[in-house]
Amino acid sequence: MATTALPENILGAAREVRRADIVIGIPSYNNVRTVAHVVRAAQAGLAKYFPHFAALIVNSDGGSTDGTREAVLSTEIEDAHLLLLSSPLLPVHRLSFPYHGIPGKGSAFRMIFRIAQELEAKACVVVDSDLRSITPEWFDLLARPVLHAGYDFVAPYYHRHKYDGTITNSVVYPLTRALYGLRVRQPIGGDFGLSARLIARYLLRDDWETDVARYGIDIWMTTIAIAEGFRVCQSFLGAKLHDAKDPGADLSAMLHQVVGSVFTLMQEYEWVWRAREGSQPVDLFGFRFDVGLDPIEVNVERMLDAFRSGCEELREVWALALRPDTHAALRKLGCEVARNPQFHLDDELWARVICEFASAHRKWPLERGHLLRSLTPLYLARVASFVIETQSLFSAQVEERIEHLCLCFERLKPYLLAQWNSDARTERKVNP
Amino acid sequence: MIGTLQQVLERALERLSALMTTYLPPLLAGLAIVLVAYGIALAARWLLTRIFKGIAADRFLRQSGISSVLTRSGRLHATRLVAAGAYWSILLVGLLTALSAFDSQLTSRMIEAMVFLFPKLVIAAAILVAGLWLAQYLSRSALVWAFNEGLPWPRRLAAVVRIVIVLAAVAVAADRLDFGRNVFLAAFVVLVGGAVLAASLALGLGGREAVRRYLEERASRREGEGERSLWSHL
Repeated sequence: MATTALPENILGAAREVRRADIVIGIPSYNNVRTVAHVVRAAQAGLAKYFPHFAALIVNSDGGSTDGTREAVLSTEIEDAHLLLLSSPLLPVHRLSFPYHGIPGKGSAFRMIFRIAQELEAKACVVVDSDLRSITPEWFDLLARPVLHAGYDFVAPYYHRHKYDGTITNSVVYPLTRALYGLRVRQPIGGDFGLSARLIARYLLRDDWETDVARYGIDIWMTTIAIAEGFRVCQSFLGAKLHDAKDPGADLSAMLHQVVGSVFTLMQEYEWVWRAREGSQPVDLFGFRFDVGLDPIEVNVERMLDAFRSGCEELREVWALALRPDTHAALRKLGCEVARNPQFHLDDELWARVICEFASAHRKWPLERGHLLRSLTPLYLARVASFVIETQSLFSAQVEERIEHLCLCFERLKPYLLAQWNSDARTERKVNP
Repeated sequence: MIGTLQQVLERALERLSALMTTYLPPLLAGLAIVLVAYGIALAARWLLTRIFKGIAADRFLRQSGISSVLTRSGRLHATRLVAAGAYWSILLVGLLTALSAFDSQLTSRMIEAMVFLFPKLVIAAAILVAGLWLAQYLSRSALVWAFNEGLPWPRRLAAVVRIVIVLAAVAVAADRLDFGRNVFLAAFVVLVGGAVLAASLALGLGGREAVRRYLEERASRREGEGERSLWSHL
């Protein structure tokens, strides 16, 4: 069982509040430009939709130096401008503190969950602190299914640009859906609604000091909720627009942590995903609507260059993970990059690459870091192929393409099992 | 004359008889010991292969990458390793025991040397294997890091890392064996130190402009990428 002790000063501050039915958690790090908007949206959402609930807004900060915490504590909103039907009976408290542990969103969440548990909150909603498109309705859509419909985990459902969320669209959504049999469209959305029961389960885990503490936290939360049989649903939140303050984010580290977390959890929940076939839709709440989105430019040439270089430079590392025929197919594609303006990495080849890397991640524990970081050029090739293929398509058509990819992953589940089992079969041959 | 010939022949036969009396019994005893040791070695190998379930050791050897260092196929079976180790160890002990049957100074010195050398050989072999494994692991780390950072010639950098670590392992193993200790150490220092000195001189004398241009291009490429790639991966 994990120890989840809160520092005394934070515990004392939380106990002054005594209780809260809803806890809104906002992890942050140098988000002074956007956090005030998020806090105002939270305050308005609580006043408008949960006026009779005791609530607490908790900001778990990673040591911001730009005045983020001060912005959280000083933001005000005038109830008169909200046109409320009823006045809030209970005040919304706010708490802002620096979190302890490995720097990353996961450590921030752990503190938030601990406070929610301490205050016996019925629901906890966590949202990113750099959201520009967040509205008060988000908090209703993420908390109400927990409070009034008995769900444990509410995942977000966004309307996103076709080139947005490419790790989700290329890897995490198709793989998670094929493994665990639930069509949670945004498994690493970042904005979730959680029940007290699920929070208690998270706090009992002892892997908070791993990649879970960083980019892996979202997929970790989603996988545990699905694999352990908690009630899962989705809520349509509209567009998701982030503050573009960190455009040079380390893609290799992001892939490493997110995909690494998926692969690690596959080993833990092998007994769950082995038995599941196909996938089921998940309840979706909220009113769906389309919104206009800012265009996104993607440098396809740079991605293809990275892939071509990877075929040459990383072949020794890829040979650890890939079967000879898969490796040969990728090398052939790498040679054709310069000649073929319509580069295409087909769904089945991509699914095989992911399945083989997942098996290799289990088979070579000491090489996991190398394998995951070497996935970057392959991922860029897949994204480049997707961008070329969907250039002239509308978002509904793009969604059909993604659905096609997901069905390919589901169809290749026996292939994944065969790769996974080949390790066990080799041992039995050696020692009959 | 016939008498002289007879005397010579008799003396020769006496010498031969003395030699055979001195060396034949220990030779026969040595052969018998070697045969017995061979039989025991075969039996030990058979028994260990049957009773030793080395699944956990096989998995460790494979997952750690040690088996890929020692064999091309990357499949090293602990059972066979242990059985072969026992076989050759028993055979070696048998040979040494057979040699000791001659009870001469030469054979005693040979046995002493082998007994003292054997543990050092084992440690040196372990150092070499560990060095090879570390070289493989760190060269892969360097390769993947250099590639993701966009550095030029990542494979060459990985090869340099591998060579330096292997050289260091060879120098340490030679030091363990007291074998050309100073030679290997000097060679290591000269090679690595010389390479560093040569690289510093080359960079200082002729490469400053090239490095500055490279760093500027990298910085402007990163900024350009930052402005262009305003898209969310997650």
